[in-house]
Amino acid sequence: MGSSIQKAIALILSADRELLNILGTTARVSLTSSVIALLIGVPVGIWLGACRFRGRGALVVVNRTLMGMPPVVCGLLFYMLFSGVGPFRHLKLLFTVKLMIVAQVVLITPIVVGNMETYVSDIAPAMRETAKGLGFGLGKRFLLLLNECVYPIFSVYLLAFARAIAEVGAVSMVGGAIAWKTNVMTTAIMQYTNRGNFTLGIALGLILMTLSLIVNVVLSLMQRRMSR
Amino acid sequence: MKILPLKKTYAGKTVLDLPEIELGTGRVTAVIGANGSGKSTLAKLLAGIERPDERSWKAPAVRIGYMPQKSYAFRMSTARNVALNGDDAQRRQHLLKVLQLEPLARQRAKKLSGGETAKMALARLLMGRYELLILDEPTAAMDMESTFAAEGLIAGYCKETGCAVLLITHSIRQAQRLADEVLFLHRGELAERGSAAQLLAAPAREETKSFLEFYGM
Repeated sequence: MGSSIQKAIALILSADRELLNILGTTARVSLTSSVIALLIGVPVGIWLGACRFRGRGALVVVNRTLMGMPPVVCGLLFYMLFSGVGPFRHLKLLFTVKLMIVAQVVLITPIVVGNMETYVSDIAPAMRETAKGLGFGLGKRFLLLLNECVYPIFSVYLLAFARAIAEVGAVSMVGGAIAWKTNVMTTAIMQYTNRGNFTLGIALGLILMTLSLIVNVVLSLMQRRMSR
Repeated sequence: MKILPLKKTYAGKTVLDLPEIELGTGRVTAVIGANGSGKSTLAKLLAGIERPDERSWKAPAVRIGYMPQKSYAFRMSTARNVALNGDDAQRRQHLLKVLQLEPLARQRAKKLSGGETAKMALARLLMGRYELLILDEPTAAMDMESTFAAEGLIAGYCKETGCAVLLITHSIRQAQRLADEVLFLHRGELAERGSAAQLLAAPAREETKSFLEFYGM
């Protein structure tokens, strides 16, 4: 175990080409999917949290259900849609990074929507009453609401990114964990461990844990700043 | 300024049923009454926060300013919160000074205490120009010194701008100090109206009498 960790650290320090390729693919998939999820989820979450309309409760329940969707179910859905017998087979997206990103967007967006909705619905009534009482128009009220959401947006993004980078079920099913093409950190750890190559698995695990630590430190700092 | 008859029902229960009310411009009208008498509902309906039963009901066609019971402090400094409603720096300084908020001007407004938040909210509201000002227990969280300072500002604003002020309060003393007329609400209905002195000297209704007795008047 000790020697494996030593070898793994040496592999990281040597900037191994395969390791760099896996890291690059992971960064591309996770960053792109989390940014797209943020761009979709933040406006929807703010809208759900701030507005009262018929059917809002049902939408919130549907979103909460999607927040708990198992990644393998998401992967299975996309596999069926894009496989050789699926309705979208002509797009030839199965086992590509593009489809991995789409699958992750579907997985992560409900998390962004849910977190934003919870935050906004908590502050929106009091904010609306005060801002309306001051005679502020819709535009100014919206800008003030956005200003209130700056830190929550950052922390929601970090959550989304953490979920994306640690996700394995969906990306392995739709990406196929093809070496030098669609292999990301989590799928590579599984693959190399199955082959008995613990060194690369441990190296990737160390990197993943370090990234998780960084995300959590940033999140804690932001939460402290928000509570100030 | 006329306020048309107003009715509000929640789940079949009438919480407010008022006849037409006339508010004098340049005058303060206090609304007093026990909890659940409909005071805050009246304020929210007039400010457009809630809708009355009669959808075609129209609030007076004037610029209305409203300070809710719990005002919101936006994520910025106290001074910037106040400046949100007007860019007259001199007036802002004056309001901050009178309400003893100057030392807290650069502090994050979210860190203010309840009383300080209420003072900031009043200063913010008084930065604007309104023809009808609705204040829902604006001094409930303030200490006596701040309450008197706030009352001075409200009276001054009313006199300077000639706006009508509707002051929701639990304090008959405050109504006595500030208001030209007092409306006493009981279970959503206008039980009695008159000057504070009239109500104190000879309350016509038993409810008014027991309300005033409860407050040691």
